[in-house]
Amino acid sequence: MSFAPRPAVQPWARVNTARRIQILLASVLPLAATVLIIILTGLDKNMALLGVFLPLQLIAAAVVGFNAFGKRGVGDAALIVLVIFFATFVLVLLASVVVSLVSQGAQAMSWGFFTTNNRYVSNTTSLEYGGVGHAIIGTLLVVGLTTVVTVPLGIAMAIYLTQSQSKTKGVIRTLTQAISGLPSVVAGLFILSIAITLDWQKSGLLGSMALLPLMLPTVARVAEEALRLVPVDLRYAALALGAPNYRAFFQVILPAAKSGLVTAILLGVARIIGETAPLILTVPISNGTSWDLFSGEIMTLPAYVYNYLGSAFVPSQNRAWGAALVLMILVAILFGTTRILSRSKSLKSKPTKEKASK
Amino acid sequence: MNSLTKASTLSSENISVWFGQRQVLSDVNLVFPANKVTALIGPSGCGKSTFIRTLNRMHELIPGAGLAGSVFLDGEDIYGEDFDAVSVRIKIGMVFQKPNPFPTMTIRDNILSGLRLSGRKIENGDEVAETSLRRASIWNEVKDRLNDQAISLSGGQQQRLCIARSLAMNPQVLLMDEPCSALDPGSTRRIEETIKELSSSMTIVIVTHNMQQAQRVSDQTAFFLADDNTPGGVVEFGSTEQIFNGPIDQRTNDYVNGHFG
Ligand SMILES: Nc1ncnc2c1ncn2[C@@H]1O[C@H](COP(=O)(O)OP(=O)(O)OP(=O)(O)O)[C@@H](O)[C@H]1O
Ligand SMILES: [Mg+2]
Repeated sequence: MSFAPRPAVQPWARVNTARRIQILLASVLPLAATVLIIILTGLDKNMALLGVFLPLQLIAAAVVGFNAFGKRGVGDAALIVLVIFFATFVLVLLASVVVSLVSQGAQAMSWGFFTTNNRYVSNTTSLEYGGVGHAIIGTLLVVGLTTVVTVPLGIAMAIYLTQSQSKTKGVIRTLTQAISGLPSVVAGLFILSIAITLDWQKSGLLGSMALLPLMLPTVARVAEEALRLVPVDLRYAALALGAPNYRAFFQVILPAAKSGLVTAILLGVARIIGETAPLILTVPISNGTSWDLFSGEIMTLPAYVYNYLGSAFVPSQNRAWGAALVLMILVAILFGTTRILSRSKSLKSKPTKEKASK
Repeated sequence: MNSLTKASTLSSENISVWFGQRQVLSDVNLVFPANKVTALIGPSGCGKSTFIRTLNRMHELIPGAGLAGSVFLDGEDIYGEDFDAVSVRIKIGMVFQKPNPFPTMTIRDNILSGLRLSGRKIENGDEVAETSLRRASIWNEVKDRLNDQAISLSGGQQQRLCIARSLAMNPQVLLMDEPCSALDPGSTRRIEETIKELSSSMTIVIVTHNMQQAQRVSDQTAFFLADDNTPGGVVEFGSTEQIFNGPIDQRTNDYVNGHFG
């Protein structure tokens, strides 16, 4: 398919000079006034932001909006100001977390930090030696096992909640929601108590079990919403063609809900990958690399952070920050690749041939 | 390859329908002879869609639905023990009022979806796709873009794609619920021509609000009516010629001449 190039003119975006000046003034003056007031009166900056800048900016925008469109312009202008103000606020908040994580963790970053373990590292060993390789492996194993078990369970629950007519599903939905409020430390204690009663050894497996009730509600709820968004028309269309229910589900409903289901899995993983308390309670930590989920010690990234953050020694604290940064990078990589994979799959069957002109 | 399957005669006997406690149809008796086109007409809400859904057992999918009576396909009760819903729907195809192509599939896959969904092997898929698209008179518009997503088609093209999708199953009966209600006159005309051609190989039941369309495409017509707060039913059933030019019932006369509804 070929489209004409996008025209350079957008008539609706035309703004006359007078209004442009108004807009410019309205975006500069409130800030200038606020800065002036802070300098003159020594008002607290945060107070000034909320108490002076926001009202001034609202008034300025309202005036511009009123001049342009009358009464309805006021509402639009106010909405725009509020949205931008609070969006910026949240953005700054998030950015500051990322910035502090990156700036604190950056010193620890090196290739070796990702690939080596801490076997020969003491509290004061310099950052050139040792790393989080063993914790990355441990986290991937523990979270991976939980994911492999929880995703089918969660999606099965979502299927039940959307497809079944039975009365019990209300109860099940409420229960799932209740579980999503479960403090993660309680999940850890619960598994720990079972382990003690049955005389099981602590291991990565117990950690995976403790993470399961934390991940399940997220996956089930988001997957349920994803399935619910598939129009019932599609199911009827499939059934009217003589499809048994299961084929209609697997060949029509599931593919239509795919991107939502991927989101469900990602949100589920995001929910548990940084969980610390349950792992501290149930998984014995180690400084060496272990691939064994079912017995012995195994390190995870959250446990690593927890273990080193409390240390009195600077290199250890740096390691903790480094590990936290690695955790963030890991999540970013997981999300990025999953998104790219799921997108390229659905793009595969997009137009392949150049269409001949009619 | 299509010539082996034959059209069938479909008939309903004392079909009554409930949604929960509310009865919406009472005692519908109609016969749809093989290779004939039957139009169902009547004001909105009188139960035409509901009735047509009982003919291929789509009705039972609606929560709270109830049914009495029988539907016979070549003398066999489709609600009887020898039939199950899936095999009924394979023999009796359906086109919905709103085009509903599968959005995750290409045009070609949409056509073949019925075969896949009903668990049949697809040999010569290209041939099946081409034949079905030709029969639904959309082949020329899509032959160069069979691998495009189906939702990239216009509404009218999507509807003809859905017809082609049903035709690929080679049904003995085709039910169409206002198939042209969202289409322009050109597409409507083409679908009407399609319907006439199809009637040589299948039995067709079509719901329509368009009196001219009913006259153009159908051999016989049934007029449905539901008086206030009473279940709907058939007021008059006969040849299209008779229903439109010499209706016996006064209400039919009023309706086909646009005096109410
Ligand atoms: N799923 C349902 N649940 C309850 N009542 C329903 C349902 N579907 C239809 N009805 C009722 O059944 C009656 C017949 O509806 P139906 O859709 O068959 O009418 P129709 O003749 O097809 O009308 P239209 O021409 O507007 O499509 C209506 O009174 C409607 O309210
Ligand atoms: Mg209808």
